[in-house]
Amino acid sequence: MQQYEVIVVGGGHAGCEAALAAARIGVQTLLITMSPDTIGAMSCNPAIGGPAAKSHLIRELDALGGAMGQIIDRSYLNIRTLNETRGPAVAALRAQADKRLYQAEMTLAIERQPNLQLKQGLVTEILVEQGRAIGVGLKSGRKYFGKTIILATGTFLGGQIVMGDVKYSGGRQGEPAAIELSESLKRIGLELRRFQTATPPRISCRSIDFTRLSPQPLQRLEWGFSWNGLKEIREQMPCWVTTTTRKTVEVIQSNLHLSPIRNGAVSGKGPRFCPSIDRKVLKFPDKTDHLIFIEPEGRSTEEMYLLGLTTAMPESVQEQILATIPGLEHAEIIRPGYAVEYDCLVPFQFYPTLESKRVANLFTAGQLNGTSGYEEAAVQGLVAGINAARKVLGQKPLVINRSSSYIGVLIDDLATKGTDEPYRMMTSLAEYRIFYRLDNALHRLGEIGYQCGTVSESDWRFRQGLLNAANELEQFYQTTKVRMDASLWTELKLPPPNRGYRLNELIIRPEITEESLLTYYPEIAKYPLPVRQYVWNELKLEGYLNRQRSDYEEVSRLEQIEIPLHFEYNRISKLSQEGLALLNHIKPLSLGQALRIPGLSEGDRALLYIYFNNSQGAA
Amino acid sequence: MNFTDTIAAIATPIGEGGIGIIRISGPKALSIGRHILRTPKSGLFSTIEPRRVYYGYVVDPEQEVTLDEVLFFYAPKPRSFTAEDVIEIQAHGGTLVLSKILQQVLRSGARLAEPGEFTMRAFINGRIDLVQAESVIDLIRAKTDKAHQLALSQLNGRATRYLQQIESNLYQILVNMEALLDFPEEGIPDLEKARIQTEISQIIEKLQQMLATVDEGRKIREGIQITIVGRPNVGKSSLLNALSQEEKAIVTDIPGTTRDIVDVQLQLRGIPIVLNDTAGLRETDNPIEQIGIQRAEQSLEQSQFILAVFDISQPLNDEDRFVLQRLEGKKVLVVLNKADLQHRLSLDELSGYHLGDPVLVSSLTGEGIERLEQRLVEEIGVGNLQVDDRPMLSRLRHRNALETAIEALQSFNFGLEQHQSEDLLAVDLRSALSAIGEITGKNVNEEVLHGIFASFCIGK
Ligand SMILES: Cc1cc2nc3c(=O)[nH]c(=O)nc-3n(C[C@H](O)[C@H](O)[C@H](O)COP(=O)(O)OP(=O)(O)OC[C@H]3O[C@@H](n4cnc5c(N)ncnc54)[C@H](O)[C@@H]3O)c2cc1C
Ligand SMILES: Nc1nc2c(ncn2[C@@H]2O[C@H](COP(=O)(O)OP(=O)(O)OP(=O)(O)O)[C@@H](O)[C@H]2O)c(=O)[nH]1
Ligand SMILES: [Mg+2]
Repeated sequence: MQQYEVIVVGGGHAGCEAALAAARIGVQTLLITMSPDTIGAMSCNPAIGGPAAKSHLIRELDALGGAMGQIIDRSYLNIRTLNETRGPAVAALRAQADKRLYQAEMTLAIERQPNLQLKQGLVTEILVEQGRAIGVGLKSGRKYFGKTIILATGTFLGGQIVMGDVKYSGGRQGEPAAIELSESLKRIGLELRRFQTATPPRISCRSIDFTRLSPQPLQRLEWGFSWNGLKEIREQMPCWVTTTTRKTVEVIQSNLHLSPIRNGAVSGKGPRFCPSIDRKVLKFPDKTDHLIFIEPEGRSTEEMYLLGLTTAMPESVQEQILATIPGLEHAEIIRPGYAVEYDCLVPFQFYPTLESKRVANLFTAGQLNGTSGYEEAAVQGLVAGINAARKVLGQKPLVINRSSSYIGVLIDDLATKGTDEPYRMMTSLAEYRIFYRLDNALHRLGEIGYQCGTVSESDWRFRQGLLNAANELEQFYQTTKVRMDASLWTELKLPPPNRGYRLNELIIRPEITEESLLTYYPEIAKYPLPVRQYVWNELKLEGYLNRQRSDYEEVSRLEQIEIPLHFEYNRISKLSQEGLALLNHIKPLSLGQALRIPGLSEGDRALLYIYFNNSQGAA
Repeated sequence: MNFTDTIAAIATPIGEGGIGIIRISGPKALSIGRHILRTPKSGLFSTIEPRRVYYGYVVDPEQEVTLDEVLFFYAPKPRSFTAEDVIEIQAHGGTLVLSKILQQVLRSGARLAEPGEFTMRAFINGRIDLVQAESVIDLIRAKTDKAHQLALSQLNGRATRYLQQIESNLYQILVNMEALLDFPEEGIPDLEKARIQTEISQIIEKLQQMLATVDEGRKIREGIQITIVGRPNVGKSSLLNALSQEEKAIVTDIPGTTRDIVDVQLQLRGIPIVLNDTAGLRETDNPIEQIGIQRAEQSLEQSQFILAVFDISQPLNDEDRFVLQRLEGKKVLVVLNKADLQHRLSLDELSGYHLGDPVLVSSLTGEGIERLEQRLVEEIGVGNLQVDDRPMLSRLRHRNALETAIEALQSFNFGLEQHQSEDLLAVDLRSALSAIGEITGKNVNEEVLHGIFASFCIGK
């Protein structure tokens, strides 16, 4: 009987990262998934990044040795920057993915990864002995044993597909749901609840009237998602833009009774930030011009994705809706839009390490944990993979702190506050947004990734090169005197200075851009883009960063103060009953986490602070 | 809770002989001290040596005004009560001045200490042991848990609504901004920067007005509430005037002169007091007088101490008995007024009410007034009557919060002028809102999330 060290269930975005991370660290890993054909499948929008925090997640993931960033850098149809004028903290990237190429690249990465074995199978049971997970049972009757198990089953647990008032079992359109596994999870003591999400129709490219549409401008970027750099500059395919009309809204309004949100076909809670077009019309009835982006799904397919038109109305209504939209009047639907309802975990059942509180050695990641989105899934997969491997190796678990990254914010929110809708990352969820930027993700997390063993030696050498270059460039700015010759100053419309300025003093001024300096200091251009951005922002934001720094550092310090795993809180006399109950439910792993527990009273917080801050000081 | 910043508070119970100590602890203690302390010749202290008592003045450096004459000393870490840098300032100007000094300290970079926080820091820094520290926990629990609630309840209804209106306007701007930041390409309207700048300026002005009223409010209400009661014409208003040495209340020989509550703030040997003169208690048909009597009864219920006045030149009558019945269970000092006239009141009946030794005075001649003051101070002190410092604390919190908000909004507008990007502007707007949230109890992150989805059609 073969014993694996880590068994990952599910080859979605979470499962892939988990399996790759564990195998890179060097433990024997098995990835079991329903179908090797759907590894890394993008169930919904074929895009990575986009809304600000998602691209941050990928840069952070990449710094920690995750795969998604490198793979999208090799499989994009177009890649763009967003939000550049809105500021350095929210500047973002978005890549349109060739979804088949992405899947192929991810599948290949998995197949070629040493220490990782891929296996087709439908997992129906988690084997548990004395409160510890020891393996999985398959539909085929086969059992696999492992020291740790990672569940990353996405939307498949008890999945139900909904279109209009039709509802049937399925994890994604055309794929079976995992029914028995839900039951098994309940039997081993996990609590499940229903969430729901939906996707728009895909149409055939040749049925679109492009003369009525405008393409989104393409950009040529120097650098993509991964810290390894954009190695391949690909020819790009644009996305197209149209809008709904008054007529669209009328069609939807007259068919609202057929919408699953109205006819009661879905009971699960859906994501607020991905509302269906039905819900948008219901909530904002006066708005008629909803933006619709028409996006290619790949070079080897004619399918086009309709971003903004999510709906699970009956197929016939979907056709009527399309007929009202400029450019889509004669659209042929290849895949109708639909909703899926699925089981996920009730909050507070896992630690920030993503290990289950109830069943030791069982880790969970991705949609199953109550999140939504590829990026959100991927980062959890990575953290679960690292921690499962560390557990096998007898190493201390890795907690990615809230103060280090959006990854930390995401996991901390799930573990400490919980969520009552599919959770998606947004920059406004972070308290110290200007500290978490695309350009400093390597500074924040690179070293951790290398220490974990998920970043290879050769990648690390390259990345260290970037970190060193950043030091060098920072020195350059701090020591170089601004030339006094008038042209620069007149060009900047600034009065000539009455003393010698250094470059770093100059760039604090809002009107100074990097571009305006490059003509005078062309040597800056030789540094790679993220290095330039990092140094620029660190210097430019100095005032704002400093203003928040002491608060930020205090928060970071509290994160470092650990609370032992099975700490008995009644050792702290005078904690209130409610406080005790909350602490025993959440089981925080750091003082910082404990102090954030919603509903904990000030008195209890003070007690915890006194107790742990001091015991740490004494230790 | 943050335990590494600089905190300050009035460290002695207010009112003991009029001397109060303001303690500042934390890394900024010394620099705050330098900022606000002046030598007797109004110069800066060039050196402040550890553990030496200095004599000087506390000033408001911006307004260039002197707040009080003080003694102070500096104890550097770790050899201080909290094991942090500590400055203690001894002032003698009574509550009002003390709280003005405290305000100045807070404005110069300290945060108002939570109850028990000095002791807690002493514990954290290893100066005292857990047993000693635990004794402060109850205090912390009793007070901090209610702090927010209290802060809001201390604002009157109009002020609350006013602040909430400002808050909601600020949220509108922030939510728009955050939606733009988190949801690019969703057709969210751009910020109208010019309009926002004007709006923020108006808000700053409103907040500044609020700051002024916070101060006004304190003048009226601060101190131990003492109510003078008695039947009409016994000389209550005359007593108020005698104690305050001012002609504050109207005095006539017509019973029922005082109709509404007249209050005066004064200090009796350093103890801040609010003295309330009330309408004489009796049965009456006059509707205006009835309202006055209702208010008198309310004041009687709410105040911490009662001066019950009787006219010694008249035998006790039913109206007096009506008053006496209402004194049960209260802290009362009986005052027998009009001592200059012939004594006709029988003390036997009075003593049946067990109200303690009465004090004999004449509000007309001033005879006995000093003795009365003496007795009052004793009763208040000996009777363990705690000064209720919470309203003052929460008002200070208001001040702090409003000042922080104003500063952040000014920085926001400056950023706008400088064409700073939205992510940076949001830093200022968020800190303004989190300061206001200290009063209203709103959490910025939650409000933003909620607001984004409520106001914009977002999501693809
Ligand atoms: C219809 C639909 C609409 C969506 N809409 C949005 C949206 O609007 N916005 C958004 O952010 N996200 C959306 N998503 C979600 C997005 O696809 C997921 O967040 C993301 O894919 C989650 O990644 P995951 O790894 O957790 O799970 P998935 O990507 O779902 O992967 C799960 C994997 O596990 C395998 N698996 C499941 N159970 C078993 C089992 N018992 N045995 C073996 N293998 C198993 C599956 O075959 C699959 O490969 C949508 C998903 C669907 C299906
Ligand atoms: N001789 C003498 N007369 C006094 C003394 N105190 C008050 N009076 C007089 O008594 C009358 C009533 O005094 P007020 O102070 O108005 O009495 P009050 O209790 O406030 O009366 P109401 O407001 O009507 O309830 C006035 O004519 C005063 O001058 C006192 O000590 N001696
Ligand atoms: Mg009167």
